[in-house]
Amino acid sequence: MIVELENLKNEFSKTTDKLIKNIYRQDKIMLRSDKRQQYEYDHLQDRLAEVEKLELAQEELMDSFIVLIAGAIDAKSKYTGGHCERVPELAMMLAQAATDCNEGIFANFELKTDDQIRELKIASWLHDCGKVTTPEYVVDKATKLETIYNRIHEIRTRFEVIYRDFQIKALERKLQGENAADVESWLNIELQKLQDDFQIIAKANLGAEFMQKEDQEKIKIIAQREWIRHFDCSIGLAFEERQRVKKDNAQTPSVEYLLSDKKSHIQPREDFDYEDYEARGFKMPVPEHLYNFGEVYNLTQSRGTLTPEERFKINEHITMTIKMLETLPFPSNLKNVPIYAGMHHETLIGTGYPRKLTIDDMPIPARIMAIADIFEALTAPDRPYKEPKTLSDSIKILNSMVEKQHIDGDIFRLFLSSGIYKKYSDKFLKPEQNDDVNVTKYI
Amino acid sequence: MENLNIEATKYTPEIILHKSGKFSIKGKSYPENTFEFYAPVTAWFKLYFLIDSLPKVHFVTDEMPKALTLDMEIIYFNSSSSKWFFDLFDIFDEHKESFDISINWLYDEDNESAREAGEDFIEDFENLNIKLVPKQG
Repeated sequence: MIVELENLKNEFSKTTDKLIKNIYRQDKIMLRSDKRQQYEYDHLQDRLAEVEKLELAQEELMDSFIVLIAGAIDAKSKYTGGHCERVPELAMMLAQAATDCNEGIFANFELKTDDQIRELKIASWLHDCGKVTTPEYVVDKATKLETIYNRIHEIRTRFEVIYRDFQIKALERKLQGENAADVESWLNIELQKLQDDFQIIAKANLGAEFMQKEDQEKIKIIAQREWIRHFDCSIGLAFEERQRVKKDNAQTPSVEYLLSDKKSHIQPREDFDYEDYEARGFKMPVPEHLYNFGEVYNLTQSRGTLTPEERFKINEHITMTIKMLETLPFPSNLKNVPIYAGMHHETLIGTGYPRKLTIDDMPIPARIMAIADIFEALTAPDRPYKEPKTLSDSIKILNSMVEKQHIDGDIFRLFLSSGIYKKYSDKFLKPEQNDDVNVTKYI
Repeated sequence: MENLNIEATKYTPEIILHKSGKFSIKGKSYPENTFEFYAPVTAWFKLYFLIDSLPKVHFVTDEMPKALTLDMEIIYFNSSSSKWFFDLFDIFDEHKESFDISINWLYDEDNESAREAGEDFIEDFENLNIKLVPKQG
């Protein structure tokens, strides 16, 4: 009995020891675990802070890149000036006004979060980024005959003239016996005609006025004046031009027209990806040739200085913008950048480019971009090819575009009623442009 | 007796138990249900020691090696894992007379709490051969 009790007592004591040990162990486990948790928590917090810092740095880097690209486009051509810099200012002002307005189409429109604001800002900075691919001679084409020009042609012309001077001198000596007055009278008439013809060509070259059919006929008649070429027109050319010129008759002497459209004036369109063009929904008709430098062809363009080929090249900047931006892996919070940036040449009724979209395809920020783009271009005080338009004229033009449904009337009226037109013009227009406008007649 | 191999997951460590006596548990230990996750491991060790205690019958029971090494390198672990480690060491403690067991507790030398956990094991199991092996980060 006593032994049994002893055993029981020992057993009990062992179990109690074990229990006590386990309780101590549990406490230790809990305390250690808490400490580890704190360590891990600190570690995670540090990492999180690091990630946030990196995210911020990455965002800053990206924004700097965007501003850099916009700056490069503005710097590339004096013809676009500060366009890429001013359009974002105007677009952001309009977006803010649209957010604050709770009526009509703006009732459900909100650009509130930092991401949404950043998205539109990036889109407006990059809306013309495709222009980095547009050749300067096209962007800046100030006269119809302008190209990137190999002046060997002009120099050859001078050789031609000198050649003739020697011939004329010889003839003069031979012909000393003729009636001088008759010759003089004839010569004066011919030289005057020549002067008049050059006046017509020179004026046409500027492309400042719309060219009527009869003006174009005049050019074609003048073009038929002939001269004799004595020099080889296929030498002194770079490889690419030589390939084209070879096709023409380079023999000498040869009768040439004063102005001509030659095969060698045509640059073929090569490596154009029609499949990709269609797949992306671009609908601008693609001219057969890349360029046509034909002299008569260029001089008889009825409006402006650009040929259809060059007009297409200019308009291609928007397809390039879209392609470039659609290629970039924008994160989901910036996925609308290509949409906002790529629609500023579309209209509400499918007459714009490059996709012939209509109002239903265009979100409000995209429609804002279109107005910002046009208004900046109209009022820009830094374009060398045109006098800057006054504020009142620019608003009148915008209004006519609203009437033609090229731009959104609601946004146009918001632009006026919110006073943004005034805020913008006070900041960016020259004093002489910044005239008074009676906006009430448009609202 | 088969070896036991469990692949690592986002929450659980890689476990390799080789009947030659080489064991390792490496990785993170945050199982959703720790005791359920480690149950096959506990069972495997119990069987290992049980087989050893059985009378030897040729071709039927394995001869279990007596020198056992367990490498434990647990980067992160929750409190119930910690509890299970103690339970495991309890099992080893029961068989320390019949086996030569060494346990290597590997930890990142910058990770103070991992070292402290190792020290706790040593404190609680003074008769087990537990070594702390610091690793350079």
